[in-house]
Amino acid sequence: MSGTERGAPVQAASADREIVISRVIDAPRELVFEAFTEVRHLSRWWGPEGFTTTTQSFEFRVGGDWDFVMHGPDGTDYTEWITWTEIAPPERIALLHGESPSDPNAFESVLTFEPDGAATRIEMRTVFPTKELRDEAVEKYHAIEGGQQTLNNLAAYLTEMVRKEAEG
Amino acid sequence: MARAATTSDVFNAIAEPQRREILVLLRAGERPVTDVARELGIAQPRASKHLRVLREVGLVRDRKAGKQRLYCLDARGLRPVHEWTGGFERFWNEAFDRLDAYVQDLKQARQEE
Repeated sequence: MSGTERGAPVQAASADREIVISRVIDAPRELVFEAFTEVRHLSRWWGPEGFTTTTQSFEFRVGGDWDFVMHGPDGTDYTEWITWTEIAPPERIALLHGESPSDPNAFESVLTFEPDGAATRIEMRTVFPTKELRDEAVEKYHAIEGGQQTLNNLAAYLTEMVRKEAEG
Repeated sequence: MARAATTSDVFNAIAEPQRREILVLLRAGERPVTDVARELGIAQPRASKHLRVLREVGLVRDRKAGKQRLYCLDARGLRPVHEWTGGFERFWNEAFDRLDAYVQDLKQARQEE
């Protein structure tokens, strides 16, 4: 793959095992941060459209955890577990995300909240222990969403192409 | 995922219909540029330009075979598209859509208090 004549994009060392998602929300940082701190807020927006959650326990503190079940729109349930590793209001939240406290494939996400004028920029940086685990998570979430998403022809084609030719 | 410069952005590369046709063609196996131009019914310089863009974003690899240069598909380059069309990134983008709507409601409720 690599070669001196190929103008390969320069990427961070962890680039192939991380996923970064960012979003600007037109609201003050304290308010956006607050939406991450209580289950009554989280249960209103966690997951894509059509997903709901049922919480078993929730304790928002470093070392505390959130045990919940995520219900997909097709009726499938997913057991989820989150523990917070860092909470710095209203700037930063780091959490471990897995299926249970003993999940060996749990991965860490760091959420940062930065003022952007009167709005707030959220960045969620998820670093997986290995590239393989990242790819696995991508596939898992593909499966989670599979029931509700109808991909257009191009997307479906590209997806199939990647599965058949990039893997294995 | 942060967008990269035009020449290293796979989304930009596949936005062009002829470049998508080239990917479909190369799926069947490696081809020289003359074949690609003929199959698509386009001039060879245009085919070369498309292949160069596809190569720069990592969707196509090339190798020398005698006097010819053969191009083949490297579908690993499509992973960002695969992720965007579904999976973790889409999951969170949709969750953040809902977060945005919820925070707007929250903001309005606080202002009315």
